[in-house]
Amino acid sequence: MSTTLLDRYATARKALADNWANGPIWVKLPIVLALISFCFYLPYLNILPFAQIRTDLGAGGTDWSSVLFLIVIYMIAAVGLNVVIGLAGLLDLGYVGFYALGAYSVALFGSPSSPVTEAIARKFDLSEGWAVPFAACIPIAIAFALVAGVILGAPTLRLRGDYLAIVTMGFGEIIRIILRNSEFTGGPSGVIGIPKPPGPEQDGRDYFNSLDVHRWYWLALIVLILLMFAVRRLEHSRVGRSWLAIREDEDAAAIMGVPAFKFKLWAFAIGAALGAIAGLLFASKQGVVEPNGFRLNLSFLFVAMVVIGGSGNMVGVLIGAFLITYLPERFRGFEQWRPFAFGVALVAVMVLRPQGLVPNRRRAKEFEDRRHEAKEAAADV
Amino acid sequence: MYSLDQQEVIVLRRSTRFGFSAVALALAVSASACGTTDENGGGDDGDCAATIGIMGALSGSNASIVIPSVNGAKMALTEWSAENEDCDIKLQEFDTEGDPAKATPAATQMATNEDFLGVIGGAFSGETRATKGIFDDAGLTMISQSATATDLTLEDPASVFHRVIGYDDVQGVAIANYLREVLQAKKIFVVDDSTAYGEPLANTVKTELGDLVADSDKTQEGQTDFAAVVSKVEAAAPDAVFYAGYAAEAGPFLKQLRDAGVEEPFVGGDGLYGADFPKAAGAASEGAIVTCPCLPAEEAGGTFAADYEAEYGEAPGAYAAEGYDAMNIFLAAFADGARDREAVEKFVDAYEGQGLTKTYKFDEKGDVAEENVVIWAYKVTDGALVADQEVPK
Amino acid sequence: MDFTSLIDNLGSHTVDGLTKGAIYALVALGYTLVYGVLRLINFAHSEVFMVGTWTVFGVYAVFNATAASGVGTVILATSVALIAATLASAGTALAVERIAYRPLRKKNAPPLIFLITAIGCSLVLVELFGHVFRQFFGPPFGRALVSIPTLIDTKVLFTVGGVSITNIQLIVIFGAVLMMVLLDLFVNYSRLGRGVRAVAQDPDTAALMGVNQDRVIMLVFVLGGAMAGVAAMLYTLRYDITKFDIGFLIGVKAFTAAVLGGIGNLRGALVGGLLLGVVEVYSSTLFSSNWEDVTAFVVLIAVLMFRPTGILGESLGKARA
Repeated sequence: MSTTLLDRYATARKALADNWANGPIWVKLPIVLALISFCFYLPYLNILPFAQIRTDLGAGGTDWSSVLFLIVIYMIAAVGLNVVIGLAGLLDLGYVGFYALGAYSVALFGSPSSPVTEAIARKFDLSEGWAVPFAACIPIAIAFALVAGVILGAPTLRLRGDYLAIVTMGFGEIIRIILRNSEFTGGPSGVIGIPKPPGPEQDGRDYFNSLDVHRWYWLALIVLILLMFAVRRLEHSRVGRSWLAIREDEDAAAIMGVPAFKFKLWAFAIGAALGAIAGLLFASKQGVVEPNGFRLNLSFLFVAMVVIGGSGNMVGVLIGAFLITYLPERFRGFEQWRPFAFGVALVAVMVLRPQGLVPNRRRAKEFEDRRHEAKEAAADV
Repeated sequence: MYSLDQQEVIVLRRSTRFGFSAVALALAVSASACGTTDENGGGDDGDCAATIGIMGALSGSNASIVIPSVNGAKMALTEWSAENEDCDIKLQEFDTEGDPAKATPAATQMATNEDFLGVIGGAFSGETRATKGIFDDAGLTMISQSATATDLTLEDPASVFHRVIGYDDVQGVAIANYLREVLQAKKIFVVDDSTAYGEPLANTVKTELGDLVADSDKTQEGQTDFAAVVSKVEAAAPDAVFYAGYAAEAGPFLKQLRDAGVEEPFVGGDGLYGADFPKAAGAASEGAIVTCPCLPAEEAGGTFAADYEAEYGEAPGAYAAEGYDAMNIFLAAFADGARDREAVEKFVDAYEGQGLTKTYKFDEKGDVAEENVVIWAYKVTDGALVADQEVPK
Repeated sequence: MDFTSLIDNLGSHTVDGLTKGAIYALVALGYTLVYGVLRLINFAHSEVFMVGTWTVFGVYAVFNATAASGVGTVILATSVALIAATLASAGTALAVERIAYRPLRKKNAPPLIFLITAIGCSLVLVELFGHVFRQFFGPPFGRALVSIPTLIDTKVLFTVGGVSITNIQLIVIFGAVLMMVLLDLFVNYSRLGRGVRAVAQDPDTAALMGVNQDRVIMLVFVLGGAMAGVAAMLYTLRYDITKFDIGFLIGVKAFTAAVLGGIGNLRGALVGGLLLGVVEVYSSTLFSSNWEDVTAFVVLIAVLMFRPTGILGESLGKARA
């Protein structure tokens, strides 16, 4: 019963994907634009029955725009991690480290009360309350993440897959523990007073304030769309094809003249930068950061988003990030049962549909191949 | 290897159909727009209705420190509603799991929903730090039952924030006094757990004790092996050990300390208050001291402890009385005729009255006057915390 | 930096570290065995250990064994607890393999899928003890730390060169090394062990030679689970506690230990585990305990720089030398 349903889903999804891939641009473009406009309209969605997807309908519900914002933040992170896992085929279990770096960059340099800005202000005799403006924090965060990505990647990317997994995991933990134990990062209490993006004042409040969260959501959405576009271009460029070659067979790629190490490093650094942007937006909206927000579990969650959706496929990754962030918020009524349900769902999805809900075309083929091989091997024995 | 081209012909033909069906779907969606969520628009029906929010870790590993205060608040509401039957006041719970990232959507929800006239919380300092600004922007009054971080009021005050409990610095000073005056300790070993709660508390205690600190060390959450700390304590040979942290680590730490033959008095802060600590440390916890800025239920007078036990089947746990008091302050505002956020804020700012645990009057930063804060030492006796004495501040 | 304290008590710190590391080593065996045969990181192994600690707790409760019990009860309770924990952990490991991994193996899924499945399994097991069982059976299940009665009091047995060795430390270190030797003998010298090595070396050829691959894989999970059960018993003797999420940190450390020694290599797990324990205690003494995880990972990264396959290299038994 479940298999037939699953098969039906698989066939329908594949037909849709094929149609889409071969559809003419005059059909595709309006649909994409409509989808994007719909996403922008989502905070205001209150037409029943569609409004049932809102998270704030029940008595104990939470603010719909805030949830949407968090979903998009995690989508940005997932798109970044997808570059590392889905495109280059490197298993990174410490992705939360880059997310934390982004968050702490804007916190440490942008907040007037952070130990770092205070030290700089004292050193150069700057006025009280001096801090790096928000816009300047963005390149700082990206630079930090790129450097961290290269520092971590350069020595470790020569390691094979499983070793890379544990080393990256260790790296993620090291970042969190240093943030927690050090004076200059504010210790376990973290940093408060993180700057918000500038904007025209509205109704006597800043444009980006804590009550009109839909503006934050729109900002994150714009960032997500731009980054998706950039990653898509990258995927179809020489770099993307090199990643593909490395992922499928590193040795063969090397023989064909693809400098595997260089491109792996690129994937790592680009993924790190995207994670940092997500962390930066998150910290700016939150206004405070503390090291506890960047535990290892979040890394696992990011990996789960990529894999559940279908690694390598941008749409799949977005769906994975959406489901994993949204469902627990929508079903808050179940409170304590949520982690258990999440565990069961992870196992069920993986066992029933190991290629993910919306796999990458090429990946799906690879899966079918592997499955076929397994069957052949079984038949041989 | 993967040839897709056989299908392309069919696919091309199908794609136009696909386009039309998409348009049709869009039309169907807009046509079915029959109702909106605003139809049953809430708002005040009648004069006497409002909602008070309460947020904190209702699930997850820290829930046991928060749930008693929620129960206390519920009890206050039940008692009040019995006397004011025509009023409809609701207490709405929000689970944050103690995680600031999960607390902000809940806070925004309360801040943007005009039905909410007050918030009890946040229960922990981290989530309070993250949500204070949101409530401040919305002018929604907060009364925290258990967020004790000093910076919440002293370094970064928000006009809407109040708390019915003494902050860490007050407690730290009292703990230092207890170690110095009651235990007469001359050499004290201070350990903290590197959390946002433990580290600042240990720092205050260390500053207060000055030269009396023999040595100090840091542990971390989730740690179970304390061999290195225990040898440091042994080497320092102190008269007393102070631990700033939570029960899950204090339990095994104290056990290993006693196993190694260190029998000196063990003192912990309010992170150990509750039933978990004696359970976690087992027999080793006998005689350990836990300080808490909370009045023993039997001292609170009245029938609170008995009522609570009758209602929830267990003795009132950590901050139950504080939750009860916080709710009562909001209810008093309501009885006084406050019907909007501004009025509630004005009332709470000027509030003066006797609660279960102390006399309340908030200063301009939202703290209870220091002379009204009580700090008690509890001693573990037969596996339960028993009020021992009031600690000099 | 407290060098004097470290040097003065180097002996006792080392023994503390070895005790801590012995438990890592036993848990690490589970990772290493499964990895050696399947090339798969069984992330759910940490919860296999957790189930063992709860079993010990349960057996003590059944025997009503406490610190005050007589010698007879203590011996009976601890032996039954050891057997029960071994069986429970082995059973859990087997269940994870049958329910989650086998269907994936039949589909020949890539390693990443196994990883996510394992994380899902961990979550399910953790939540069973942290929440689900509480709904049906009430406390002590739940999220609070659970204290296990101390049946064997810690006593100093003897002192060598200023280093006091306690009975518990001796039991833990000796027990772990003994299990390791037994396992090593089993894998290297028994018929079943030869099957394990054969599958680890070349699954296809082994199948041709008549080795039943599924049975070998089951055996590997059972063996790894049993080791985790013994580790759970020793852990409860040493620390007297359990908690629903206790497996996570130990799992991460044991996995680190396995990689450090050379994953897939049984003796490597022992070396890696003991080394990691000692490094952690040394660093806790030098700095403070909140830096021990950083030190552990830095040592791991440093070792992998110079020996990319761990200290002793990858090989199950001598198969992949």
